[in-house]
Amino acid sequence: MDIFIRLNDLSFQYSNSTEYALKGINFLLKQGEFIVVTGPSGAGKTTLTYCLNGVIPHFQRGSMCGQIFLGEHQTKDLSTARIATRVGSVFQDPEAQLICAKVEEEIAYGPENLGVSPKEIASRIDEALKLIGIEELRERSTKALSGGQKQRVAIAAALAMKPSCLVLDEPTSELDPVGTTQILELLGKLNREQKITVVLVEQKLEEVMEYATRLVIMDKGQIALDGPPAEVFDKANTLTGIGVKLPQIVSLFSKLGMKGKIPLSLPEADDMIKEFIRGETYGRYDFRTG
Amino acid sequence: MDVMTSVQVENLTYAYEKGSYALKDINLKICKGEMIAFTGKNGSGKTTLAKHLNGLLKPTSGRVFINGLDTTGKTVSFLAQQVGYVFQNPDHQIFNDTVYEEVAFGPKNQGLTGKDLEQRVLNALQVVGLETYGSTYPYKLSKGQRQRVALASVLAMDSDILVLDEPTTGLDYKESQQVMELVAGLHQKGRTIIFITHDMNLVARYAERMIVMANGEVIADGRPRDIFAQPKTIKSGSLKVPVVTLLAERGGFTSRTVLDEEEFIHDIYQYKRRMSLNVLCS
Repeated sequence: MDIFIRLNDLSFQYSNSTEYALKGINFLLKQGEFIVVTGPSGAGKTTLTYCLNGVIPHFQRGSMCGQIFLGEHQTKDLSTARIATRVGSVFQDPEAQLICAKVEEEIAYGPENLGVSPKEIASRIDEALKLIGIEELRERSTKALSGGQKQRVAIAAALAMKPSCLVLDEPTSELDPVGTTQILELLGKLNREQKITVVLVEQKLEEVMEYATRLVIMDKGQIALDGPPAEVFDKANTLTGIGVKLPQIVSLFSKLGMKGKIPLSLPEADDMIKEFIRGETYGRYDFRTG
Repeated sequence: MDVMTSVQVENLTYAYEKGSYALKDINLKICKGEMIAFTGKNGSGKTTLAKHLNGLLKPTSGRVFINGLDTTGKTVSFLAQQVGYVFQNPDHQIFNDTVYEEVAFGPKNQGLTGKDLEQRVLNALQVVGLETYGSTYPYKLSKGQRQRVALASVLAMDSDILVLDEPTTGLDYKESQQVMELVAGLHQKGRTIIFITHDMNLVARYAERMIVMANGEVIADGRPRDIFAQPKTIKSGSLKVPVVTLLAERGGFTSRTVLDEEEFIHDIYQYKRRMSLNVLCS
């Protein structure tokens, strides 16, 4: 897979802070990955997303050491408009990121600012609405939407810039379980079918497990663990120590003594439970104390 | 009304504007010392109902009683002494320049001064573990800490009913645990706790009772164990039961509705033991 973004020994300190938010991060983002980034608050997750979408070094004040490469070029040498055509951003608060009165204006806003032709903009609006499955919201006022709808409009607006990567910072934190599932399914579909690279900061690991190809755990400005979800979840003690809540399915199976075998879906879990009930090998029950 | 009733809601209907009802004919009685969860998807009426409990909203029709007093005609500042309300977003309620001033605001309005005031504030800060942050500017703190400031400022009012709107939203795991353990501790001390949440693991762990709301109505009211066993209610309420509850039901090794990992593990081992005894005896 092609390397899309590369962080080289990257550190960042906000101008009003005495501590580094990121400390010597080395990170490769490859085309087509679905990376979930998690960790306790203050671990540096949001700062990491700022390094991927150009907010650092272009907008955020502070001091940076190390390099951020987007393809061949360092992001400091690229215009923010140029970065935005390759990396789309979606933030936590659905209220804060919609700026236009109507949904279609919101989606047109980015490409308009790039000087894209009206004809091309019209076709991008159609395409983005269709991709996200919100054609019926086209004429609606952005104020009158639910939180989940607002986040889908924000994703559509990001896609209208035709980026090959989406960076999302806890987009579901204000949403209910139904809204959350819709957003995550949508991201899974964009990744699978449109080959869009996804970097998702998320606390709800349980819901996101089936989509992630890679899980990055951050702690105190550094990357503590990085790998396929099953491998990362296998280090249950490390995760708990950092303060990451294990998905219930993972902690259940590790308590049942089925370490190293973690089901990532319900049917898989059903089979393992049957196996557990039949099996002699796992967690032999002590009749005297049980 | 008996003295054991904290909250009584009678035929409560609330309309934002003509013809659009946010709450429809709600009847609900919450006893002193209960810990109850309000659940349901966004827009189902949970927050609208909760805001009636401290007079932030007044019924379009019907009545709400708090500790036996009809909220109609009572001011929010009077009701705030009976019902502490912690908003979903702490930043919607924090407006003072220091943590101490923020927490002192409520009791000051109650007329407390001098040593009494100081004692009340320090106690509240101690309960939430922020006693050393009195002189800090609230927005220098993390979101989890600000959530605790908001909680402390409500605690300082010393009200015996607490309403918390999604107290763990936006917090990480450790912060969520801290806030919920704190609230559970207050419940142990006899406070009536009402919390709004989407997290059924929190409901399973902390709530003795839950209501499920949909389209402005209460569609279910009961123990989490009973409600988790009603697929129809779960579906209409757009809820998601804990994974262990689902897996235990699908696994068919226990007859009860399992609430957490400990129950799951207990029941599956018991089943395994029964099975091996059957084999030995046959």
